[in-house]
Amino acid sequence: MDVKTLKEKAVAEISSIKSVEDLKRVGTTLLGRKGLFSEYLQELKTVNQEQRKSLGQAINELKGWAEAKLQELEALYKKEEQEQKERESRVDITMPGNRPLLGKAHPITLTFREMERIFSSLGFEVAEGPNIELDYYNFEALNLPKDHPARDMQDTFYVAPGVVLRTHTSPVQIRVMERQLPPIRIIAPGAVYRHDQDISHTPMFHQVEGLMVDRNVRFSDLKGILTIFLHEMFGENVPLRFRPSYFPFTEPSAEVDIGCVICGGKGCRVCKETGWLEILGSGMVHPEVFRIVGYDPEEVSGFAFGMGVERIAMIKYGIDDIKQFYYNDVRFLAQF
Amino acid sequence: MRVPFEWLKEFVPIDVGASDLAKRLTMRGFEVEAEEAVRPAFSDVIVGEILDIDRPAGTEKLLLCKVDIGRDVLPIVCGAQNIATGNKVPVALPNTRLADGTVIEKRKVKGIESYGMLCSERELGLSDDHSGIFILSDEFRVGDSLSDALGLADTVFDVNVPPNRGDCQSILGIAREVASILNKKVTLPSFTLVEKEDPELRMSLAVLSPDGCPRYVLRMIRDIAILPSPFWMRNRITKCGMRPISSIVDVTNYVMVELGQPLHAFDYQKLARARIEVRLAGEKSTFRSLDGVDRKLEEGDLLICDGEGPVALAGIMGGENSEITSVTKHVALESAYFNPLFIRRTARRLELRSEASLRFEKGIDIANADFAAQRAVSLMHRIAGGTVVKGSKEFYEKKEPRTIFVNLKKVGELIGMPIEREDIIKSLQSIDIPVVKREKEGVVVSVPPFRHDLAEYMDIVEEVARIIGYENIPATVPISRLMPVRQQKMSLTASLAKQYFVSSGFYEAINYGFFNEKDITRFLIPEGDTRSRCVSILNPISQELGVMRTLLSPGLLESLAYNVNRGIKHLRMFEVGKVFYKADGTDSDSEARPSLRPGTPGGSEEPHPQAGTRAYAEVRRGERRSDNEGIQRKANRCEPLPQEPVFAGLVLTGREREYFWKGAPPELDFFDLKGVLEGMLDSFGLSLEVKRSEEPFLNRYNASDLFIAGVRAGWAGELKQEVLAAYGIEQKVYAAEIDLTIVAAQGLEERKYQPVPRYPSVIRDFSFIIEPGISVGSLIDNIKAVSPLIVSVGVFDLFKREKTSVAFRVTFQSLEDTLRDESVNKLQEIIIRKLTQIEGVKLRA
Repeated sequence: MDVKTLKEKAVAEISSIKSVEDLKRVGTTLLGRKGLFSEYLQELKTVNQEQRKSLGQAINELKGWAEAKLQELEALYKKEEQEQKERESRVDITMPGNRPLLGKAHPITLTFREMERIFSSLGFEVAEGPNIELDYYNFEALNLPKDHPARDMQDTFYVAPGVVLRTHTSPVQIRVMERQLPPIRIIAPGAVYRHDQDISHTPMFHQVEGLMVDRNVRFSDLKGILTIFLHEMFGENVPLRFRPSYFPFTEPSAEVDIGCVICGGKGCRVCKETGWLEILGSGMVHPEVFRIVGYDPEEVSGFAFGMGVERIAMIKYGIDDIKQFYYNDVRFLAQF
Repeated sequence: MRVPFEWLKEFVPIDVGASDLAKRLTMRGFEVEAEEAVRPAFSDVIVGEILDIDRPAGTEKLLLCKVDIGRDVLPIVCGAQNIATGNKVPVALPNTRLADGTVIEKRKVKGIESYGMLCSERELGLSDDHSGIFILSDEFRVGDSLSDALGLADTVFDVNVPPNRGDCQSILGIAREVASILNKKVTLPSFTLVEKEDPELRMSLAVLSPDGCPRYVLRMIRDIAILPSPFWMRNRITKCGMRPISSIVDVTNYVMVELGQPLHAFDYQKLARARIEVRLAGEKSTFRSLDGVDRKLEEGDLLICDGEGPVALAGIMGGENSEITSVTKHVALESAYFNPLFIRRTARRLELRSEASLRFEKGIDIANADFAAQRAVSLMHRIAGGTVVKGSKEFYEKKEPRTIFVNLKKVGELIGMPIEREDIIKSLQSIDIPVVKREKEGVVVSVPPFRHDLAEYMDIVEEVARIIGYENIPATVPISRLMPVRQQKMSLTASLAKQYFVSSGFYEAINYGFFNEKDITRFLIPEGDTRSRCVSILNPISQELGVMRTLLSPGLLESLAYNVNRGIKHLRMFEVGKVFYKADGTDSDSEARPSLRPGTPGGSEEPHPQAGTRAYAEVRRGERRSDNEGIQRKANRCEPLPQEPVFAGLVLTGREREYFWKGAPPELDFFDLKGVLEGMLDSFGLSLEVKRSEEPFLNRYNASDLFIAGVRAGWAGELKQEVLAAYGIEQKVYAAEIDLTIVAAQGLEERKYQPVPRYPSVIRDFSFIIEPGISVGSLIDNIKAVSPLIVSVGVFDLFKREKTSVAFRVTFQSLEDTLRDESVNKLQEIIIRKLTQIEGVKLRA
């Protein structure tokens, strides 16, 4: 037996491999059941015992080498084949993607959501009330009796004697206080209606009302809570201004302004040259309101606030036309 | 309230600039909305004095004046004839620009050199008066700038006076605040009243309604001249936004603005029997006010009458029968305090608001009525001549000033900062609230008669906070108990539904809560349908917004049309919002929707233990009040409010998207709509049931009613073409509305874990041929009913030729063991047998 010849043959066969087909053929020629190595190993039986062991070892070594070599080549060809497939799968990555369809929430909804997030993180719960409201809740119980001059400030839609479209979300304060005892921390988001339609007014808009009643609630707490809220909403650096105002259901009352975000406080058309934008009304709950709902103003105190959602959204997003909120123009909605 | 800065300075010395003061007023609660700069329309006109007047020979109308202008004496030619030696006049020197832009030059008139021009009011842009040269008051100094001398360069504040501060509808009122800000004192206008006894002019006064008129002061002045008032008065009246009329009327307006006391001047000779009677109207009648309009009077209107009948609507407007005219000789002047409620009621009913009624409604200073009357007659005397009749007629039902006890410790506690006792007292004194008694715990203060807004200690707290300055009060975090924040089921449901729709490619619309009653007919809603009975607005903005909506779709269709008209033809939109159903008077309906019942927004929460008589919930927030807590729920006595269920409305039209390069996207149809609804309900753990719909606005072959757990919750389908046409839409639109209150009531149950199957499932496909009229849904139900081992039945193919062929994929699954072929085969046979027993169903070969 000539192991040397075997080696030469095997080397020759392996180096003749040029393709996957060659690889298969050589595999059979060398390692197949009737292949070269089998032939040699068969023949080994005829060799005498002394030689058999060393010859056998040499053949098996050679076989191992050939197997390894073929495996190596096989891996190589597989890789090449893979690469070829991938080359063929080449796409133009600049073609438009297949986006899952996504709609958009209305900016009013987004603003509500943000406000609810901030206030709920401060322990305020959402409460609601009807849009069609009794005069009693909308006015009277808020210390606005029938002949009160402050009723001039609101143009009211009536649906029946004593029944109105609520002109603010403040009636929810009364409904909540009638229903439960302090401590109270709520916000009341919702639609409100005023008989007013011009360039800067829509007959329906949205408000968020807030109410906190507890023992020892101070005016400074009102400043604190609203400062946190406005800084969250408009950024830590926005200047704030609390100034005295009048609402029949709060005392003391405060109007809150933020530094004009358009001109940075220098004065522009939007802030009417004042450098400030009115953002919300607030105050300590009027003792008369407490008496009306049967709370003892000597025992509890509280504050309330209310703000226009459209206004806040307009300032936040830089929208200059309140009517945009109600066209439902997709080119508008898609921006948020 | 318009406040000229120069006028304010007459009442209080101001040592800060106008802008600075405006800011400080704003921080005091008197928001200065605008600082309007008033500038003369001319440049550099000065005050001159006519030393001599010559009529040059050869001229007919020209006068040659020698005019002293201080630094020089100039010859000036003048055409007007109303001048005299010693008159002070406005002189325009060469290079001066007049109101109309003319620039004065030195020139020769008929050969006479003229070094300037004497001016009329019109030439200076001060009024339309061009009847002659503007003769200035003798007090003016020669050589001074005319603009300074007349106070023409000024700043007018537009002050937003809070409605409870009627006292600040006057220069005096604002001056009081300014004095407090600047730590100064207010000086009232000073004048000397020269009166003469007059045996002829006598009046009788009777106040028959002391409730409506607790004070009435009547003064008289005789032989006055009705002239235009002097420039300074007209100028101030104009700056305050009113129109000068004549001396007498201007004085009443002037004093009203100055002191806040509305006045009314009657023509004395027109008052029958020289009598004034203040009384209430007895019955319905009419009365012609001085604007020439007949006003309907009703019982209880407060009237000023003479010896025969009404001469004025008290505090609102005078009558035509007694008004001042160009021939008025004697004036009877009213300075009264009318009860705000009376004035308001009448003014409101008549929709008649005057500068006077505005002030009476808010309450004026009852103590000031006589002073204002004196001020007015002395001004009338000054500008219209005549003689002030000595004395006055007066009715005055005096009341003790209100006092308020102020617990000084509590003031600081409520404001949230320690405040020294003396600082509180000083603050209050600065706005004329004196301390009348000092006690251990606090002080008793007296409320000045012009402060109608101060009723109790909280009002005093506000005053203190205001004077300290809100900006000086710290911002603190409340000290309160931590409590979990819960979300009401309804708002959570609405919020989750919105998120689902957005993530399914829908844009959110928000429409007004009202719509056009015609929307009901456009949607072909028959009479008697709940949705046809709208809540109407009694005073709508327009018919388009005349009733509360009972459907979301009309608004959505309008939004859709808006977009389609702008080229966006492939679109999905949704709205989550309230619709409004008229209450039908019975309570049963609202019981059916416990979470919705108006007035109980938290109706879905479980009842809390009774709170007893405690005024504070010690245990937890949200503790319900029991009814024995002494609150009168007046509201509950009213008829029920309309119902306001929250609905979700959907519209979709066109294709999923307009195009895509991998292949044209399919047209959206009923199943896209149904799928979104199924998916949305599934996210709440609910499943959708459908039945054919008879909604009049839907294509009945492409429409369904929606049910949740057997309860009808809405509808979905293709809108009829005629409905769409009413909204100007020509393409197919699928729409749905679903009642989210039902979703909230049924859904959101706590989820319970189901074991995940450990054994493989088996899938078998079935194909049947079905006759028209057989619903696939009923076949699915039939298959499902065969065995609990059938966990899902899907439709994977459907095609129609003469007959419909439908293919089901059925999944079998056991939680106990691996299903053997034999058992599945048995079930398979049952399915086939069961379905083919139905008439019109055959197994497909």
